Amino acid sequence: MTTLMITPYAPYRDGIANYAVQEVAALRRAGTDVRVLSPLPSAAHEHLVIGSPVGMLRLLRRIVGPGRGRFDRVVVQFYPELLFGSCRNRLERLAVWWLLALLCTRVPVELRVHEIDYAAATTDDATSTAARKTLLAADAVTVHTEAERRRLAETFDLSPTDVRLADHGGNFARRTSVDRTEARDSLGIPTDAFIFLSIGFLQRHKGFDRGARALARIDHPGGDVRLYVVGDIRVEHPEVVAYRDELRTLIEGIDGAELRSGYVSDEEFDRWLVAADRLVLPYREIWSSSVMERAELYDVPVIATDVGGLADQAHPGSTIVADDDELATAMAEACGGTVSGTAAPFDDDEDLHGRADLEAAMARRAGTVPEGTRPETVGLGRVPRPAVDSARPGVPQVKRLISRVTSWQLDPVVRHVDDLTAKASHDFSELARRLDDLENPTRARADAPPPDA
Amino acid sequence: MTAGNDIDRRGRLALVPPRYGPDVIGGAEAVFAEMAHQLAGRGWDVEVLTTCARDHFTWANEYPAGTSRDGDVVVRRFETQTDTKGTDRDRLGNRILAGDRLSIEDQQRWINDSLRVSGLWHHVLDHGEDYRAIVCGPYMFWTTFAVGQIHPERTILMPCLHREPAALLDIYQPLFSGSRGIWFLSEPEAALADELFRLPARTAVTGAAMHLPTRYDPDGWRQRRGIDGPFVYYAGRREWAKGWTDLVEAFARLHRTRTSPLRLVTSGVGVPEVPAGTPADLVVDLGFVSEEERNDVMAAAEAYVQPSALESFSRTVLEAWAAGTPVIANAASEVVSWHVDRTDAGLLYRSSDELVEALHLTGSRPDVVGAMATDARAYVERHYEPGTVTDRLEALLDEWTTAPAAEADQ
Repeated sequence: MTTLMITPYAPYRDGIANYAVQEVAALRRAGTDVRVLSPLPSAAHEHLVIGSPVGMLRLLRRIVGPGRGRFDRVVVQFYPELLFGSCRNRLERLAVWWLLALLCTRVPVELRVHEIDYAAATTDDATSTAARKTLLAADAVTVHTEAERRRLAETFDLSPTDVRLADHGGNFARRTSVDRTEARDSLGIPTDAFIFLSIGFLQRHKGFDRGARALARIDHPGGDVRLYVVGDIRVEHPEVVAYRDELRTLIEGIDGAELRSGYVSDEEFDRWLVAADRLVLPYREIWSSSVMERAELYDVPVIATDVGGLADQAHPGSTIVADDDELATAMAEACGGTVSGTAAPFDDDEDLHGRADLEAAMARRAGTVPEGTRPETVGLGRVPRPAVDSARPGVPQVKRLISRVTSWQLDPVVRHVDDLTAKASHDFSELARRLDDLENPTRARADAPPPDA
Repeated sequence: MTAGNDIDRRGRLALVPPRYGPDVIGGAEAVFAEMAHQLAGRGWDVEVLTTCARDHFTWANEYPAGTSRDGDVVVRRFETQTDTKGTDRDRLGNRILAGDRLSIEDQQRWINDSLRVSGLWHHVLDHGEDYRAIVCGPYMFWTTFAVGQIHPERTILMPCLHREPAALLDIYQPLFSGSRGIWFLSEPEAALADELFRLPARTAVTGAAMHLPTRYDPDGWRQRRGIDGPFVYYAGRREWAKGWTDLVEAFARLHRTRTSPLRLVTSGVGVPEVPAGTPADLVVDLGFVSEEERNDVMAAAEAYVQPSALESFSRTVLEAWAAGTPVIANAASEVVSWHVDRTDAGLLYRSSDELVEALHLTGSRPDVVGAMATDARAYVERHYEPGTVTDRLEALLDEWTTAPAAEADQ
């Protein structure tokens, strides 16, 4: 029996690709013949850009077209970018859903749902219907947490038994055998400190800034408490670069916080987990977390926000928090500190005279990062595409046609301009930082990111 | 270090070069081939996992896929996939050469828009834990980049690193930092890696095994080829990246501006380009030659020229010294400079003008230049004799890796 797995794949290193590699390895160990199709060239056997109706048609042709019967089963590591990434409008997304539904009727398909864009999937009745039909037509729909199962079932009016649960980390394996002291020593971090860790690609939805602000609110007299934020950006889109620069600026203003910017190996990733006392995952949005699963391999307790299925995923010893106040409280309790800026009264002997003192005390308790620590990031946006909408009959169709006809010429130019914009934004921000360091040498910090590339 | 008889040689070793075969041209490939045979000769169970390609430009599948034997070494070949247009490779490659900083996504697009070997990758995914160690190199190729990160706890990286724009890419950081250990061919290579990467705790300079011929026949070679008079020799890839263009232009300038009896003899695959106007008899292309003939040419030459700045070991320089021939080498190569500084068996040039002068000196005073290499063979014997190098490799394998029966006991 031959299974086709459709997924991003190694040597690309992201959560779903890493997950898929471990799943493929397990299937092959069990004797299953597995072929992999990835959206981009990789170690997969085949590659095909799917994310549009044309891509789906090509996929259908490969699976059920001439030479059909090659695959007995298809597993789709489902996430929006994979199937809808190049869709330009609602109609194209609708077409993709129906083509996926068609595929599900022609060959057994398991949809392993890592993420689903509920808003896009329910914009109108037609899309909701298509999505529901697809999910019902699939041989199996699998998610990783009970919360995800409930939400999927509720949103698309499925029976909970229509959605299976899979163990997210069932095929995960340890990548390091060092102990905590060895790990800390190798990473150049203090062996005696209490270490909070946030690790992963630097993206706004990960919320690493929230953990940093929480640390700023914690008083821990007599103890060495640190937060390490470890990761890098994957794409140099202006908004991603801007978030990285904001995060760097924020962290540089917080005692005990450090940003270790860089692309780490799987082994080093696990070594950071081993080194940590607590893993802090203050996500703003997530479905389920591979990092949390990996932390469980090493019995590292996690403090995580209650989003997606994280509450279901949490392993014993972990803490789920509802908001920033609970986040700070959980971190303070973990390290034996207290959270300032809560209901605790101002001390009677605090020297508070006048507005400056009062506002300074307020800021201190609130964990406010001092203003003027670093120049603002220069944020430049991406090249906006002209809208094709119009109230005049027939005009949108003409505009779309022109857009399609000219895209082969314009797209490379737009991409190049976006790349230049991102680079310029990055370089201007870096220049501003260096000028600021020259003007304010006492404020330049030794923990600035190393020039590693 | 453990003495040779105390080495635990249980367990299978995988060596993963991107190409392997008797007619494959490449220094790193020669290092891996020699290493495979030396270790197999000591009793190790050695498998070479490689591609079906012979040519590193086309990566066309020229050898048959499957398993074969090369003496004591098992060779498993897997077909290459070159099913992309290479647009990203070219576009992003130009930006890398220009020193642009690429996003990680673009770096990943660049490395994957060329040679890929899905069969080899999945073989290691499936069977990686059956190998005691997986030795991968050179760092830049997809086979090393992708395969080297499947079982990093068993992977020993032999990067063959030199100072080039691709070495600055972030995507290579995990390959270096996550490996079980790294084997370097020279101290300058190790120093460069320490400068560019976060290295694991286990690193060592191993060098590479060099067979020292006991007999050379320069006169017989001259007769067979009909080549009289003094000449300098270059062997290897006749490409711009290896300094070939600089060499032939300097040689042409030598003859335009001076009187010199010197000719340039070269060997390698492909047709070497020569500047227009260069007299045809000044550059002699031998084409692809056997190892025995190359040794004879080395011995017959007044000097061996190494114009490449991108060397991580430079076997040909050591082959020249083994034959008692001095070298004229590009000082921009930290590795070759290091060798020459340790032996004084050659001349380092820092500009094309200096190269012309070095060639001129060799043509007009071959006795003075030749005397520089009198003791050079001893240097090669002392540091790179196969037994010496293989002792180092075995000791490191014994120290860094765990034999399978010992794993079962833990």
